[in-house]
Amino acid sequence: MAAAEPPSSVRKVVVHLRATGDAPILKQAKFKIPGTDKFAKVIDFLRRQLHRDTLFVYVNSAFSPNPDELVIDLYNNFGFDGKLVVNYACSMAWG
Amino acid sequence: MDVLHWDGTLSAKDFRVGAFAFSQKWESLNSGFPPWVWVLSSKHPWLASPEEEGYLSLEKICISRPNEEDIDQISQIDTGEEEIGCPGNEDVIDDATLVQSSHHELHYCDFHIVYSSTFRVPVLYFRSYCSDGRPLPLDEIEKDLPACSSKELSKSKWTFITQEEHPYLKRPWFKLHPCGTAEWIKLLFLSDTAKPKFEVVLELYLLSWFSVVGQMFGLRTPFKISN
Repeated sequence: MAAAEPPSSVRKVVVHLRATGDAPILKQAKFKIPGTDKFAKVIDFLRRQLHRDTLFVYVNSAFSPNPDELVIDLYNNFGFDGKLVVNYACSMAWG
Repeated sequence: MDVLHWDGTLSAKDFRVGAFAFSQKWESLNSGFPPWVWVLSSKHPWLASPEEEGYLSLEKICISRPNEEDIDQISQIDTGEEEIGCPGNEDVIDDATLVQSSHHELHYCDFHIVYSSTFRVPVLYFRSYCSDGRPLPLDEIEKDLPACSSKELSKSKWTFITQEEHPYLKRPWFKLHPCGTAEWIKLLFLSDTAKPKFEVVLELYLLSWFSVVGQMFGLRTPFKISN
């Protein structure tokens, strides 16, 4: 699936957002994001799309990444089949 | 144990196994941090217990956020002579003083991972203090936390942070309330398409758990796990 790479050397990561638990499913659930972006960008995107401040966000292998992690690092460790699956739920992590 | 029908909780023995696995992984992956130490302790030291009881401890972690406005406050330097005979001047002129900003004060945090036999899950106990040992109240600790944590805290802190007696040390500590833990732990593990065996779940349980609770304090959980 060789898409034309942009002239810059920044590699983009394909992210699939996956609703779990009681979370609403997004109409646009797949997108590309520069690997050098922080995971915080994905979390913020989700918050804005779902109009929710508190979200429970996690990736494969039962791990919830710190917002400061780089997307490319997460892809390298948890990516599968050319994409990074990011799960989200609306349940409260606390209490 | 069938993971599909698992309720997200651990037995005390599972917790001990999981705790050792966690501390080993943490140490091998995270050279920047001190290791988690297992502290042997008993809630009822007068009873002979065949099982090792205890908790995980990570202490004296500096959690102060660098303050961008961290400048030494210098009060007005004056010649020190009082101006007499100028009734209009109501300022008291200080001797020249250099006042160290209190922003230089560092805050530390101790974390203990303790097993709750009521909820059958790990619970994070914490306390924070200055370099002179003075304990910090929650309002002070809040200022050291990442922005999204303090937002959550300001909304509903007393629903999930309580101050209680540490089950082993018998002193007041704060704890993150565990009543939701089993539910979100289940979500973490059962959404994984790989559907791991319980032995694998146990190996990863505390690492996964800490990846969530550690974020409250901006602590980064290592994840370069070799599969």
